[in-house]
Amino acid sequence: MRHRRGLGTALASLVLLALAWQALATEQLPKGILKMDGRDAPPLVLKDMDGETWDIETARGRWVFVHFWASWCGPCRKEMPTIQAIYPEFDPAELEIVVINTAESEDTVFAFLAGVAPDITPLMDTDGLVTERWQPRGLPASYFVDPEGKLQYLALGGRPWDTPDYLNFLRNIIAQ
Amino acid sequence: MTRLTTVFIRISLLAAALAWQPAVAAGDTPLVYEDNEIYMRLVLRTPAQLSAFYQGRQFKQAAIDKILETCFVTPIIRNKSLDVLWLELDRWTFTTDGQAITRLKRDYWPPRWQESGLPQAHQSTFGWTLMPEVRDLRLDESVGGSVVIPMQSRPFTLTANFPTGADKQGRTRTIVFEDIKCATDAD
Repeated sequence: MRHRRGLGTALASLVLLALAWQALATEQLPKGILKMDGRDAPPLVLKDMDGETWDIETARGRWVFVHFWASWCGPCRKEMPTIQAIYPEFDPAELEIVVINTAESEDTVFAFLAGVAPDITPLMDTDGLVTERWQPRGLPASYFVDPEGKLQYLALGGRPWDTPDYLNFLRNIIAQ
Repeated sequence: MTRLTTVFIRISLLAAALAWQPAVAAGDTPLVYEDNEIYMRLVLRTPAQLSAFYQGRQFKQAAIDKILETCFVTPIIRNKSLDVLWLELDRWTFTTDGQAITRLKRDYWPPRWQESGLPQAHQSTFGWTLMPEVRDLRLDESVGGSVVIPMQSRPFTLTANFPTGADKQGRTRTIVFEDIKCATDAD
């Protein structure tokens, strides 16, 4: 009888521990990262500055960091160097970083990125309509699409992606 | 002090706190309101600033002229509370001398862009510079953008109401900015 009570206590402790761990994991999202409801990511087919077409459908099986920006937006200008800094940190087969310029000319985009993010070849949403279909809360906006093509996280505004909290977040999602 | 008196004082203090609407006059420089739940700042863009910004984005002069016919009020808002703070522009009012000023909403612009031949890409850029009509601001989330009214020669008042709570059932926060003036290049 005493043995059975001890087993029950141990099981209850394990359940509590699991719940606490889940709560902790939820709370451990870095500042400004929101969990989304897992709906399907909207279509995303655009050409990059080299004229190559990229389709989000081809990214199934890996996480995609979808980032919308424009050079006139102050927080975008501040955030872009941090995206450049993490660019070499991730294997595109695990986390593909896709940077989408919203409705600016190639000259404007080239002039800006050459100075702060030379490794990034952005997709060009030349008329801004793809950005509007994704309905970001503003610019900049970053979405995290899981390997099944579902929207899992949203970053509010510009975030310092090269700092430990955000790097750990990115490493954790691809380890899921 | 009796318990009844204590309760009465507490209720009176609560009623006074709920009835209080913070007001900021333009004489206060800059136009900023802040408490432990909300930060709000107003920026009034001069015609020269607006022209420079949109010229820099390769907007045609005909389109910029349409913009300069209006008055751009640019609030920057940050939710500092743990609760959801709702930006709903339809709950904001602009008044001058007791008369309502009708805000120029997003549907004001497409006919102007058609007249001025503004390309779709520039229309998209312009749209992103406007304040969203509705936004559920989370903890520490900021939002900024322009709210547009017809050009005013007289000072005006902005009364900004913000519902709170995920379901908007919390108390409504009201912030009043008085004696605001549309910016001119002489400012």
